[in-house]
Amino acid sequence: MEELLRADKLTRIYGRGSGRALALDEVSLTLEEGEFVGVMGPSGSGKTTLLNCISTIDRPTSGSIIIDGKELTGLRGKELSRFRRERLGFIFQDCNLLDTLTAFENIALALAIVNAPAGEISGRVGKMARLLDISDCLDKYPYQMSGGQQQRCAAARAMVTNPALVLADEPTGALDSRSARLLLDRLEELNRELGTAILMVTHDAFTASCCHRVVFLRDGRLFLELKRDSPDRRAFFQRIIRVVSELGGEMEDVL
Amino acid sequence: MFSKLAFRNVRRSFRDYGVYLLTLTFGVCLFYTFNALDGQGAMIYLAKSQSPAVETIQILVDVFSVFVAVVLACLILYANRFLLRRRKGELGTYLLLGLSHGQVSRLLVLETGVIGLISLAVGLVLGVAASWVLSTLTLSMFQMNMSGLLGLRFSLPAAGRTVFCFGLIFLLVMALSGLQVSRARLIDLIQGRRRNEVLRQRPLRWSVIQFCAGALCLAGAYALLLTFGMALAVAVLPICVPMLALGTLGTLLIFRSLSGFVLRLVQTRPGLYYRGLNLFTLRQWISKVHTNYLSQTVICILLLLAMGITASSVGLNQTLEQTAWTQAPYDVTVQNQSADTLGKIDFTAYLEQAGFDPAQQLSAQLSVPIYYNDPARTGTHWGDAVLALSDYNALMALQDGEPVTLEPGEVLELDAWGEGLATGSLGLVAAVVEDQAVQGLALRRQVWSANYAGDPEETEQVLLPLLRALGQTYSIRLESRLSVYQDLMGNKLLALFLGLYLGFTFLIAAAAVLALQQLSQGADNTGRYAVLRRLGAEERLVSRSAVQQVALAFLLPLGLALIHAAVGMKAANDLIAQVGRVDSAGSSLITALVLLAVYGGYFLATALACRRMAAGK
Repeated sequence: MEELLRADKLTRIYGRGSGRALALDEVSLTLEEGEFVGVMGPSGSGKTTLLNCISTIDRPTSGSIIIDGKELTGLRGKELSRFRRERLGFIFQDCNLLDTLTAFENIALALAIVNAPAGEISGRVGKMARLLDISDCLDKYPYQMSGGQQQRCAAARAMVTNPALVLADEPTGALDSRSARLLLDRLEELNRELGTAILMVTHDAFTASCCHRVVFLRDGRLFLELKRDSPDRRAFFQRIIRVVSELGGEMEDVL
Repeated sequence: MFSKLAFRNVRRSFRDYGVYLLTLTFGVCLFYTFNALDGQGAMIYLAKSQSPAVETIQILVDVFSVFVAVVLACLILYANRFLLRRRKGELGTYLLLGLSHGQVSRLLVLETGVIGLISLAVGLVLGVAASWVLSTLTLSMFQMNMSGLLGLRFSLPAAGRTVFCFGLIFLLVMALSGLQVSRARLIDLIQGRRRNEVLRQRPLRWSVIQFCAGALCLAGAYALLLTFGMALAVAVLPICVPMLALGTLGTLLIFRSLSGFVLRLVQTRPGLYYRGLNLFTLRQWISKVHTNYLSQTVICILLLLAMGITASSVGLNQTLEQTAWTQAPYDVTVQNQSADTLGKIDFTAYLEQAGFDPAQQLSAQLSVPIYYNDPARTGTHWGDAVLALSDYNALMALQDGEPVTLEPGEVLELDAWGEGLATGSLGLVAAVVEDQAVQGLALRRQVWSANYAGDPEETEQVLLPLLRALGQTYSIRLESRLSVYQDLMGNKLLALFLGLYLGFTFLIAAAAVLALQQLSQGADNTGRYAVLRRLGAEERLVSRSAVQQVALAFLLPLGLALIHAAVGMKAANDLIAQVGRVDSAGSSLITALVLLAVYGGYFLATALACRRMAAGK
């Protein structure tokens, strides 16, 4: 498999002088094409900072991020927007659908922003909606949909542009377990069928268990990596739980 | 410490709430300009000749000033309430940090004071400049040389009144914002940032139906106005009420449905709909319809009033200008109404005896007898008075008119208008007959007309008292072109000043309300712009969408108001054209410039602020 993402010695320092805080401390991480990777860790461990740096929303203080052979830290303004809209997809905890647009238009907007030909839009949105099982609520506004439907709609918006990498920040955080499971099933399927790599930050061991690989962060450092070596999700879940409970008090807030 | 915080907050207000300051400054400027009317060149000129118009103008402007002050006060209070609502979170933080309600109130009072002082100072300076511009404008409308009257003046009483009035308004603002803070609960302030918006969407085909209905209503209103004409349509209630009702309803329906209608249209062209952020911009517009359509209707009507009042006051002036010369064809005209009982006056002898030399100081003079009409002799039943053809032609020659010839037995029937032209308002319906037909008719009146040789004003100072003295013996009616002109000028100024005053007030009110509404929505939109940015939309596209939304809100009411105004001006011009020549191109141009300057200023300030909010900085 080709290497998709290489983050090298990422360091992010907030503030300066005595008030400075080290959010990321020389974190290195690689992702291969089509990989589904989870990031876990207690609050304040730097998960979201890592995701923000990779997603180009934030800039690392030092270190480099290379996606698709392109050095991100050197990109500016237009190039950055272009990279973001063509290569990345985002799913957030609060799904961030635009409340003035229907589900269809929310997904279509992502295509409009990448200047997809108008004739293709309807077909691509429809296909993505079928994959995520939201075909019947395409004409609804976000407030008319359930949380799960909204989040799947957000996932469709993130994936409809065929990004190389989808970044998900606690996508199941606000969902009940049934909706969460449905979303994860769909994400796994998309990951398998379209080969889209996914980097997902989560608190939840069950959510993490659908990944191929889970990395653990603590105090801004990468301290453990678990690989799922069998298709058995349950066994992987048990291993993750073990790590989490070994961390004990430190990760109490996680469970 | 407090003053430091207050100054810092004010500096931030400059950036974020330019519209508030703009409104305050424009308000001060407007108020000063129209309270300093006594410094206007044209007013000084009229005051010198003791025209009664000066007092009328002053009184009316004072009365309207009260109205304007109330409107501005409401506007400023509204703007302030809006600002406070936006700052709820900030005020809540102050309270959370342990400041007492009193201290926060004091902070607000201090801020209002600083903002008030700045806007007063800037507004007064602008006011002096605006006074000068207005003075130039009014002087240029008169055909006299008044260059000595033009100059930059500072009117202390007007400034005092402005400071007093706005001081009062600011005190009111301070009191109300203090009250609002002291009554606010911390929980409400902290959660003030949360918005609760329920979006209700209606099927788009409703929009199409509503739009068509609105267009029909407007067409009906226009048809009423144009078929019956301005005079009837405004004065006759059974026409006026349906016209205004149809117009308002049509405007309302259009604003309610336009966004949906446009969305429907654009959706049929996916190439346009799915280009860039068009889809988002259109949806934003449609989602705001239910909160905006009422205010847009009101703003459209306010704009229409502003344009209509300004344009017709300027247009009316140019029409009056024409009539000044037609109403008084000679420099001075005296009508001896007691000629039938007391006989003719020998003007030349009288004036010479009084020490006035007609030969030197008058370029021409003419005494014309008017006779009682006797149909048996003249053969006409037209009017109660006749004059001889040769006299009539002499009168016409005096005003450089064309002489007329009459066939034997023919009669020239003068209507009130033609009579006025020839003899200077006899107040009688008269006929012109051949010279021999007046032989033996009884003398009814004598009309003496003259043109001055030298400077009209100097000549009148000597001549008019002499002529007025004749009134002790005879029943005379005296009319001088200069006094007719000054009367007209007074009326012109009155119409112009009041028109501009009200027009500007409506304009500022409309623009400020619109701007504040857009700013508030712009702030609500920041979250949506953040999502767009994450989706990879370029800054350029995002800020363009923000500006487009403001532009839609500003330009649509203006556009519809312009259409209304164009129809209205057409009807108004038809009316004015009956009285005199119309020259509406100039007045329309002035109106357009005035509108552009003020409305454009607000649009620019709002668009820039919204763009800044969209940029998330």
